[in-house]
Amino acid sequence: MIRDITIGQYYPEYSKIHKLDPRLKIVVTLVYIVSLFLVKDFIGYAIVFASIGLVVAMSKVPIRFILRGLKPIFLIIAFTFTLNMLMTKGTILWSWGFVRITEEGLYNAVFMALRLIFLIIGSSLLTLTTKPIKLTDGIESLLKPFKKMGLPVHELAMMMTIALRFIPTLLEETDKIMKAQQARGADFETGGLIKRAKAMIPLLIPLFVGAFRIAQDLAMAMEARCYHGGEGRTKLNALKFRGRDAAAIIFVVIYLSAVVAERIFV
Amino acid sequence: MSIKAENLTHIYNKGLAYETKAVDDVSFTAEDGEFIGIIGHTGSGKSTLIQHLNGILKPESGRIFIDDIEITSKNVKMTQIRKRVGLVFQYPEYQLFEETVLRDISFGPKNLGLSDDEVVERAMEAMRLVGLDFETYAERSPFELSGGQKRRAAIAGVIAMRPDVLILDEPTAGLDPKAHEDILNMIRSVKERAGGIVVLVSHNMGDIAEMTDRVLVMDGGKLVRDGAPAEIFADEEFLKGIGLGVPPAARMANVLAAGGLASDRSVLTLGDLTDFLANRLGGAGGGADDETPEVSR
Ligand SMILES: Nc1ncnc2c1ncn2[C@@H]1O[C@H](COP(=O)(O)OP(=O)(O)OP(=O)(O)O)[C@@H](O)[C@H]1O
Ligand SMILES: [Mg+2]
Repeated sequence: MIRDITIGQYYPEYSKIHKLDPRLKIVVTLVYIVSLFLVKDFIGYAIVFASIGLVVAMSKVPIRFILRGLKPIFLIIAFTFTLNMLMTKGTILWSWGFVRITEEGLYNAVFMALRLIFLIIGSSLLTLTTKPIKLTDGIESLLKPFKKMGLPVHELAMMMTIALRFIPTLLEETDKIMKAQQARGADFETGGLIKRAKAMIPLLIPLFVGAFRIAQDLAMAMEARCYHGGEGRTKLNALKFRGRDAAAIIFVVIYLSAVVAERIFV
Repeated sequence: MSIKAENLTHIYNKGLAYETKAVDDVSFTAEDGEFIGIIGHTGSGKSTLIQHLNGILKPESGRIFIDDIEITSKNVKMTQIRKRVGLVFQYPEYQLFEETVLRDISFGPKNLGLSDDEVVERAMEAMRLVGLDFETYAERSPFELSGGQKRRAAIAGVIAMRPDVLILDEPTAGLDPKAHEDILNMIRSVKERAGGIVVLVSHNMGDIAEMTDRVLVMDGGKLVRDGAPAEIFADEEFLKGIGLGVPPAARMANVLAAGGLASDRSVLTLGDLTDFLANRLGGAGGGADDETPEVSR
């Protein structure tokens, strides 16, 4: 059901990757994404494949969990693949009417699809191995320099934390209200678009009312415990740079050098 | 009218590391006219069990029959089931959504495809039964009502569908004594008027003893006892062992017994207790000491 959505999901495990500093993981993910655009041939992808494969193995996240993240964007991959294959000019391999597949087109299509797949695997690995709370902690810490420019960094991070925290709660609430309305004969499954949209009203109104109620209660509870924003606030689990983070940096530097060297010399 | 559940099992989050067997091989039957109570510790699977009885949840294995219709089979029409089995959820006030109380209560009957006149008539009757004055409340927004009034409106929304089987999941949780008593009286009058089967889930042993004529006891997803209230509440040790207890009147009788007053296992309700005490005290001179009072329920 709705609980099965996996994008942005966390996979609880005690691996070396899970334990890395979230700031480092965010930066590394960005570096990794940039590096994908440096790759110009399949030898480069071999380096990428070996590296990301190693990280996946170390993270102990099951492969099928990572592949599940690819499912929602399968359509986009298929679409770019087809476009690339059909729109590139070059040596014709096969043609039928105005449809022609060229050697260059096929090469391009595979190349682009791989880039997308690697991109998704890398970024979903970030959310799979990092608790949402750690992730927002990391973002807050990385954005700190922008505070001087007037960006409410702490408040943004807090909003993100709360939003992430309440996704499961709201899904649960949705499930409960849906069942209650079904018991009164509501039908969410049949009928045309308009009928179905109308059928959502008995679900959405209690859901919104509930969301406001939860928000109000939460605000009250936070104030009762003297929450007053980011000024002078310390963290229970302060982020700390450790030995394993240094090891990860060395690994990333080697990886990046390999990708760059491959681009220049091969 | 009858309900039959055969070897019902329900597993939440099947296949994941944190799967829970919330209902485990439960079988029972309920005949027309019965008033059934379900008791059990928090998390024992009561809510999960009753959500199967109108097809909201599908069991992992096992079957349910409402009369002769197997509602667990694939090709059964759900509206037909929901017309016959009304389910009032725990904290039903969170399902209110319409602009006015009347329209909210009419939601269920409308979904049954009744005529407008019939819908309004049923809504009026339901409001009367739950003790919401039509003139005062029909055109009010349900969101402006107090907690107890919201609860009444939500229950009326189910009663207005006139189900043959009425199932209520802790309908009195969190209400004040007056509203509590009103809801119980409402359930009694619905039962009297419509007959059928009523199933009441409650943590209040007094209510269960007072109202029901059969009790199902759940523990860890299993149906561990099934019998008359007198039978179930006779075994205080067992009930305490699974986090439950006996009605206050029965406790009082047990305490009196421990204090030397001849014990009487059949005291369950306040009425029983009054009779028992009257008999003990008033009858002391009449030599009727050993006569056990008649159990009135
Ligand atoms: N939607 C759900 N998803 C996953 N697990 C659930 C869900 N609903 C209930 N459970 C689990 O199933 C078990 C039985 O829950 P259920 O709600 O049926 O208990 P209950 O007897 O009604 O408890 P209470 O008296 O607190 O209402 C519990 O362990 C609970 O954690
Ligand atoms: Mg419950």
